[in-house]
Amino acid sequence: MGSGYAMKNLTIQNVSKTYFDPYAGANVTAVHDISLKVNQGEFISIVGPSGCGKTTLLNMIAGFLPISGGSITIDDKAIKGPGPDRGVVFQTFALFPWKTVGENVGFGPRMRGLPRKECDQIALEFLSLVGLEHVAQKYPNELSGGMQQRVGVVRALANNPDVLLMDEPFASVDAQTRMTLQEELTKIWQERRPTIIFITHDVAESVFLADRVVVLSKGRVLEDMPIQLQRPRVWENLIEDDTFKALSSQVLNKVRSA
Amino acid sequence: MIILLKVWSLYLRLAAKFPIVQTILPFIPLVIAWALVTEFQVFPRAFLPGPMDVVNAFGTLTYKGVLTQYLEDSVVRLAVGAAVGVAIGIPLGLLIGLSDRVRQAVWPVLLFFQAIGDIAWLPILLVWFGFSLTTMTLIIVYTVLFPIVLNTSLGVRSVSIDLHRAALSLGASKLRVVWEVVLPGALPNIMTGLRNGLGYGWRALIATEIIVGTSGIGFMMFDARRAGSVVEILLGMVVLGTLWYVVDSWVLAPIERATGKRWGLVTQ
Amino acid sequence: MTQRLYSAFKFALPLILLLIFWEFCIQFFQVTARVFPSIEAVFNAGVEAVNDGSIFNHIAASLGRVAVGTLLAVVVSIPLGVAMGLNPIVSDFLSPLFRFFSVLAGIAWIPIATLWFGYGFGAITFVIFNAVFFVVTYNTLLGVASIPMPLRNAAASLGANGWTLLTQVILPGALPNIVTGIRTGLGFAWRGLIAAEMIATNVGLGYMLFLARDFYKTEVIVLGMIIIGLIWLAIDRLILAPVERATIERWGMVRRA
Repeated sequence: MGSGYAMKNLTIQNVSKTYFDPYAGANVTAVHDISLKVNQGEFISIVGPSGCGKTTLLNMIAGFLPISGGSITIDDKAIKGPGPDRGVVFQTFALFPWKTVGENVGFGPRMRGLPRKECDQIALEFLSLVGLEHVAQKYPNELSGGMQQRVGVVRALANNPDVLLMDEPFASVDAQTRMTLQEELTKIWQERRPTIIFITHDVAESVFLADRVVVLSKGRVLEDMPIQLQRPRVWENLIEDDTFKALSSQVLNKVRSA
Repeated sequence: MIILLKVWSLYLRLAAKFPIVQTILPFIPLVIAWALVTEFQVFPRAFLPGPMDVVNAFGTLTYKGVLTQYLEDSVVRLAVGAAVGVAIGIPLGLLIGLSDRVRQAVWPVLLFFQAIGDIAWLPILLVWFGFSLTTMTLIIVYTVLFPIVLNTSLGVRSVSIDLHRAALSLGASKLRVVWEVVLPGALPNIMTGLRNGLGYGWRALIATEIIVGTSGIGFMMFDARRAGSVVEILLGMVVLGTLWYVVDSWVLAPIERATGKRWGLVTQ
Repeated sequence: MTQRLYSAFKFALPLILLLIFWEFCIQFFQVTARVFPSIEAVFNAGVEAVNDGSIFNHIAASLGRVAVGTLLAVVVSIPLGVAMGLNPIVSDFLSPLFRFFSVLAGIAWIPIATLWFGYGFGAITFVIFNAVFFVVTYNTLLGVASIPMPLRNAAASLGANGWTLLTQVILPGALPNIVTGIRTGLGFAWRGLIAAEMIATNVGLGYMLFLARDFYKTEVIVLGMIIIGLIWLAIDRLILAPVERATIERWGMVRRA
């Protein structure tokens, strides 16, 4: 189940981002030179210390920030501003508080012009992916943090985006919920195979989730590490797994050395 | 002591069941005190008539249809002025909230004109439009405008940028973001602005009627002053206060609270 | 320092542009003095008013009334508000009363005020007193009532007796609300002042405006409006707003605790 028959690859070519900081009174370069290729159906994770440019990069891919230099293309077509082809999941969930859960998830389809009934159906379909079809009539502030973020994920997925951008999405939930959400995410990914770019500062999380871990530092790519771990990945098993531990240490060292 | 507590607990239970009790009860001692003060002629009768006199006046004037007519005039003026003020104020507030440039250009001007105040415009409006309905309506529009614009722009700016971005990345155009995200997001603040605006508008209306009017509650009070008839002044004040209190506490405040609650915000 | 100068300039710029726009409109549309005065006419009127001292009389009268009325009101309402607020039963009970009278604050009292005090200083000061009194009492009441009980208990258990409790805990705790109340009350008072001066006296800014209207002297009207605006801007932005901000920053924590 992909978004069409064509292979949609995301290519980030020599991208840089500079902006004027009024407080510093000078130009600040958040991203110096990043080149990255993400193939369809890949799950890559971008890690790095604060200020390494990972959020800026994500905002540029999402189209929220203009690119200063280089290019970002999907199948050689340059991206233009935000759009449903690049779905976003936010750390703050960003669910519309005055709309029900179902209306939130059906928002994307409605923006595409589909009739209300169809949007509701699509919403229920995607909500059932995370077992939340029974809360479709509830309002976001009636749900727990974990449930809200599940809604956030399927809201973005409901548009069949070419790539799903996730900006530290589980940072605002407690540790137990986080582990559950991580496992659920890998399950959904295995079923539907969206292309996912997952930003985090949590090294273990990045190794647990991804096929590839990209370490950023000071606006550049430091390392692009493939993760050869079997799927499905479950915390109970992996937490004692030697390969997992080795990979995590490797990534951690790289991040700390930056 | 026990009796006092029993009475008090009875009061609390009644108040919980019928909130109106809690609102009305405090006024009872006040009215009683008022009646006593007038009974004992602490002030000359001509200066302070008693509650019964006011009630009688209320009855007479309502019967003659005068009070209802004045009330209708006042309320209609406020409604018209408020409607125009809202029609101008919300879009303006939206614009100011959405665009930093517009805000920087307009804000100082807004503040200055707000500082001049509504009543200070009366003389020049009288020069332009004379003692007419236009003058009164314009004053009300002016008064209502500022709370609405300021609160709307505040509400717009308080909508988190993630909500904007979420809508955009779900395929909404910029215009649809305003309609689907910004306006609903700003709604609690808009309601606050509306409530404040109506409050100020009500006061401005009274002032304008006193100075300019040919009808309306404010006019009634000032006319009564000229005729030396205190009863009607007091009646006017009671009517004014009660009407506003009722509308504000039982219509406007609950709406404001409901929108705030729905949006998951905590309003006191 | 230059940052503040810069922001002051940014603030003034739109107003300066407005002035230029004003003059342009007068010239371009050949607006008669009867409809709207030119900047020059207003300036001349200002010079004249300064020279014959009338402007100082009016400003002094207006400010004087506001000052006296406000001072009286604050002196009465803060203790009253504190006393009422300390007892939650009393404050709950009396709240509706004060909300009712807050609405009537100021302007609605003009007719009865002129009846009781005649025209002039007394009536107007009463209106101002009235406008400030109800709002400040109500806000003080709210401020005191919202000081969390644990805080008061903590202070008491640390040995604070009545007076210390009052000055060290209650007053600072309620101060943000009190200051907000004073600011709101002053706003009502200033507007009530202008309205009252149009009706009930023969000196003051409101009177100056109303008299000029009678003679269609638009330049005096506009001069008066500008002065009124500047005075209130000065009072509110340069004094009240910073004080309010400072107290909330310093003491706002108390309520959140």
